[in-house]
Amino acid sequence: MRQRAIGQQVVSRGVGSSSQFIGWVSRNSAMVALVITFISGSIFIPTFLTRLNLSAILYQYSIIGFLALGQFLVILTAGIDLSQGSMLALTSIVTASLMQNYGVPVAVAGGLAASTLLGLVNGLLVSRTKIPAFVVTLGMLGIARGLALLVSDSKPISIGIEAFNDFGRSNIWGVPVSALLWLLAGLLLTYFLTQRRLGRHIYAVGGSEESARLSGVDVRNIKLIVYGLSGLLTAIGGVIWTARLGSGSPIGGNNYEMESIAAVIVGGGSLFGGVGSISGTVVGTLLFGIINSILNLVGISPYWQGTIKGVLILLAVALSQVRRATGSRQG
Amino acid sequence: MTAINRILSERSVDTRAVLKILAILIGLMALASIVSQGIFLQPRNLVNLVYQNAILIIISLAQLLVIIVAGIDLSVGAVLAITSVLIVLFQDYGLAVSFLVAFGAALLIGLTNGFLVTYVRLPAFVVTLATMQIGYSIAKVLSGGGAVYTGLGGAGIAPGLVDFYKGSFLGVPFPLILCLIFLLVVGQYLRTSFGHFAYSVGGNQRAAYLSGIPVRLVKMVIYVLAALLCSIGGILFVARVGMGDPQAGTWVPLDSIAAVSIGGASLSGGIGTVAGTVIGVIILSVLNNIMNLLGVPPTLQPAIKGLVILVAVLLNSTRASK
Repeated sequence: MRQRAIGQQVVSRGVGSSSQFIGWVSRNSAMVALVITFISGSIFIPTFLTRLNLSAILYQYSIIGFLALGQFLVILTAGIDLSQGSMLALTSIVTASLMQNYGVPVAVAGGLAASTLLGLVNGLLVSRTKIPAFVVTLGMLGIARGLALLVSDSKPISIGIEAFNDFGRSNIWGVPVSALLWLLAGLLLTYFLTQRRLGRHIYAVGGSEESARLSGVDVRNIKLIVYGLSGLLTAIGGVIWTARLGSGSPIGGNNYEMESIAAVIVGGGSLFGGVGSISGTVVGTLLFGIINSILNLVGISPYWQGTIKGVLILLAVALSQVRRATGSRQG
Repeated sequence: MTAINRILSERSVDTRAVLKILAILIGLMALASIVSQGIFLQPRNLVNLVYQNAILIIISLAQLLVIIVAGIDLSVGAVLAITSVLIVLFQDYGLAVSFLVAFGAALLIGLTNGFLVTYVRLPAFVVTLATMQIGYSIAKVLSGGGAVYTGLGGAGIAPGLVDFYKGSFLGVPFPLILCLIFLLVVGQYLRTSFGHFAYSVGGNQRAAYLSGIPVRLVKMVIYVLAALLCSIGGILFVARVGMGDPQAGTWVPLDSIAAVSIGGASLSGGIGTVAGTVIGVIILSVLNNIMNLLGVPPTLQPAIKGLVILVAVLLNSTRASK
């Protein structure tokens, strides 16, 4: 709770009701944007506000959402994880190839272990060497994708176990189970980040690594844990993705890290670390889900989607930069 | 002019570094010759080596420039892809026009990268990650998704372009000559005062700013030059494969970063040479060559490249910290 209070104090020190309102909007810009896009989508597109469409958004974006939760933890420490999409593919391949011979529990455990392990390797390299995080994880992007291609011999691996595939499509009163799991993970992480010492240390490392170290925070292990968690959360998303697809794909998950980074930044995170919240990341993810759905429903060519997402990312990062600049001027 | 002195002293360190990686290269080539029982050193294999790497050398030069000013350019592959599509689409209006259109597109991407990095002060890897997405997306929109073989008016690839790639002068293939020209140009550029400024900006931006160096302009020019170099890569790509491909160059960012870091450049900026970068590209391709000769499946190659980047950067960072 303390971190959030400090964050708000820095941003909202403006005087007068109009600047207070602007401060409120800029603090909650993602939420405002989410409400606006949701309402305008509901008004202008007849098929938008249907149970089918909304659950389709949740199915797809709860998977990205798991990646975004991991990305948020990493970005909180002023790091970045570019290897998520490749790790997702590796998890799906490991899960699918273990499935037939060893059964569901072993396959899922293997898939989770694969990406968690690579995440920990990321963490070791980032925390123990001077290599910048984006280079480490860019290298891991190549390594994980190469392993996925190697293990699968570049071919998708289909899964014949219906019970597992059904899990990917299961829902409770129309709400996908994957989305419920995602929200549960978000709640757990919120508790962990705001109420537990380790979680507060993650904020401290992102705020100022040097002062965190001088205050006795174990910066190296915090970073190790954060990248490990990013691997684990990516793996959970990967297992759900595999179940949804009913097969493992070595080329899947391409550029998913773009979406997770975008969701975190749009949700109020900063690439310089130390700010943002899980709820912001969840809102950012849902916003991208809704925008994506609207683009599809309006019939905009999928080829344009990279452009739209790229521009949105640049806008979000620029906005967070402006927020940072005004915050530091006031504080 | 302490900045200049510092650069000169770094130069000497770099010469030693270049010698070291040269030794690694010779070792690798010897290994390749043994593994291949002599096939490696056959002229055809060596010519192949150049053919396959002309594009990567040019793109790595672009990456080198950006890395010298402590940046990174993940959009190099996207610029290659979009220019390759534009060249094929606009060739009905003559090669000159299509090249101009391609340069124009590259200029636009370079200016966008440079503006966002220097004036809005966004991290280079995020900016170029986004422009990479945008570039690939627009390339797909322009080409209709797949590869393009004919111009807007239906004309096929100009034969002159393809002949150029296969042609040679005094036995030296044209792509190699083009590479040499750009090596010289970029090498000379880095020797001008503006080039020295780039090293200073990369080494210590604050100090460079306080010494009166126009930091923003220097970085801006570097990002634009990098994008223009990538469009040359796009031209070579069309000449080589005879099509414009909106998905070309996916691995080029990774490869070029690997080549530049193997070549002794520091990803934290201020250090890096043209000679080192070229040797970096050759080492990378000899590694590929050895892997092919040994029968390592091509699917494993991204993994090995990723590993090579990490090892090279790790070695560089321990050297720099000494």
